[in-house]
Amino acid sequence: MAADKKTKLLARQLFKLSFANGQISADQVSGVLGWVNKNSPRQPLSLLKIYQRLVATELARSQAVVAHAGPLGAGVIAQIEKAMTTKYGRPVTATAAPDSSLLAGIRVRVGDDVYESSAASQLASLSV
Amino acid sequence: MSNVIEQIEQQIAKLSTKAVKKNTGHIRTVADGVAKVDGLSDVMYNEMVQFPGGIIGIALNLEQDEVGCVILGDVSNLKEGDEVTTTGKLLSVPVGRALLGRVVDALGNPIDGKGPVAATETYPVEKIAPGVMARKSVNQPLFTGIMAIDSMIPIGRGQRELIIGDRGTGKTTICLDTIINQARINKVGIASGDKNFRPVYSIYVAIGQKQSNVVRTISALEAADALQFTIVVAATAGDNPANQYIAPFSGAALGEWFMENGMDALIVYDDLSKHAVAYRQISLILKRPSGREAYPGDVFYLHSRLLERSARLEGKGSLTALPVIETQAGDVSAYIPTNVISITDGQIFLETDLFNQGIRPAVSVGLSVSRVGSSAQIKVTKQVGGKLKGELAQFRELAAFAQFGSDLDAKTKATLDRGARIVELFKQPQLNPLAIEVQASILWTLQKGYFDSIEVKNIVGASISLREYLITRKDALLATIRAKAALAPEIETDLKAAADEWKSGFVAK
Repeated sequence: MAADKKTKLLARQLFKLSFANGQISADQVSGVLGWVNKNSPRQPLSLLKIYQRLVATELARSQAVVAHAGPLGAGVIAQIEKAMTTKYGRPVTATAAPDSSLLAGIRVRVGDDVYESSAASQLASLSV
Repeated sequence: MSNVIEQIEQQIAKLSTKAVKKNTGHIRTVADGVAKVDGLSDVMYNEMVQFPGGIIGIALNLEQDEVGCVILGDVSNLKEGDEVTTTGKLLSVPVGRALLGRVVDALGNPIDGKGPVAATETYPVEKIAPGVMARKSVNQPLFTGIMAIDSMIPIGRGQRELIIGDRGTGKTTICLDTIINQARINKVGIASGDKNFRPVYSIYVAIGQKQSNVVRTISALEAADALQFTIVVAATAGDNPANQYIAPFSGAALGEWFMENGMDALIVYDDLSKHAVAYRQISLILKRPSGREAYPGDVFYLHSRLLERSARLEGKGSLTALPVIETQAGDVSAYIPTNVISITDGQIFLETDLFNQGIRPAVSVGLSVSRVGSSAQIKVTKQVGGKLKGELAQFRELAAFAQFGSDLDAKTKATLDRGARIVELFKQPQLNPLAIEVQASILWTLQKGYFDSIEVKNIVGASISLREYLITRKDALLATIRAKAALAPEIETDLKAAADEWKSGFVAK
């Protein structure tokens, strides 16, 4: 069942309450979930799904997922973390994620932005 | 084999090793040709987005939590979770002379099986119309080849003239006749070697039509050897509503290329009623608020921004538009018809009653108008056709008295006789446009009374006979009229001699 306007509005309000010092706080999120459990608002499933999506999107903005095909050199993760923190003006944590489908090179995802430098994407652009 | 290796090496060398930044999202839902996408935080309104499998979409709804994208292609392989990427570009179509003679879809991809289109440029599908100062007034004629229109409702290059009527009244036929006439004039003009001759290239945009109708149209253009000067853009009823929505704008982009490069073009939108319906479908699926007749609130802007792109430009070319609107039960005061009537520079109204009476083209002279008027007529047409509208208006007023026959005064009888003959003379078979010099000659003959002694039921036959006589025996006279574009006394003398000769030999069948 699609969420109605009130449920969407409530989800956004709960999302705003999940911040502490400008970042998503685990304690705040626990508090929100406890409130939902206690008060049983309308359309709880839709509310929680929207809330989850908002929190996940916000968390993704502060995480750089570095997908790589071969071995990563020492310090590459730290370099990417520093570069992304500077670029976005907020703390960004980089994590490595091996992905052999890239063939070679890396792909860095920060939220919706993807920095592509992999052989697979180059081959894909050749085929277009 | 070494060439093959070299080619591959060249391609590899062209690849950039820099990291490419993309903005992405994921499909949350896809239904009815619209995808709701999570993410795409940097997407801009009307930006082209890329779906998996090379499918393109346009971001039309930028909401707080999601982006609504219309999909221009096959949606059957898309699913929840698929990645969507922004392209940083507006939707563009290939443009240029290479598209002449081709049939393409709303994105400019060829669908006629004649291979890829060798276009070197692309133009954006959505573009802001030229400003006031960039325009020039419309004073060059665009001949449709239909006597009723060229004499009383003249169209100029750069004008927007609406063709409006019920189903089956001959709207598309008028458009095809106009396109065929442009091709005929182009061939004559190019063969003459006149450096000042400006050909008119045509674009026919089929929106929401049956594919069988589009095939019939293409066949008619091929048979008349007009396809070489024409581009057909087809977004048929089986296509996505998004493709039907985009098709007229793609056609306008094709026409703008000719206009911006100093050439003249004609674009037919057949028809904008179906275009409005496709836009309504997209808007409702995007949950945009609906207004009158469930159309979205910006349906006027949909057509106004499309039709304002047709203009005559200072120092460049022109783009003439013939939008088509289908009415229901002759209701011109409905929502979409009144919108488009207020946008265009005149309308040609086709009536079912006239069509059923055998008056084809079924042009209602009383309700039709060209706001450009005689500015778009050459002198010869003004000389012979200036009084026609008034004579027909008087005829219509007195038509109810026709049943009284011999009880009428001489003046009324003369008006009725003349009017009936004009109506017969304006009947014209479809896909058979007449050259302006032939039209002028026939109308001159009418004005000088050569048809007065011929019975009304024989006027059509007489007109055909006169036409054949002029084309086969008086080609030089016609060429003179075409070149001079005015009736000088010596031309009138020659016309009189020709008319006398024809009349003496004419026998009604």
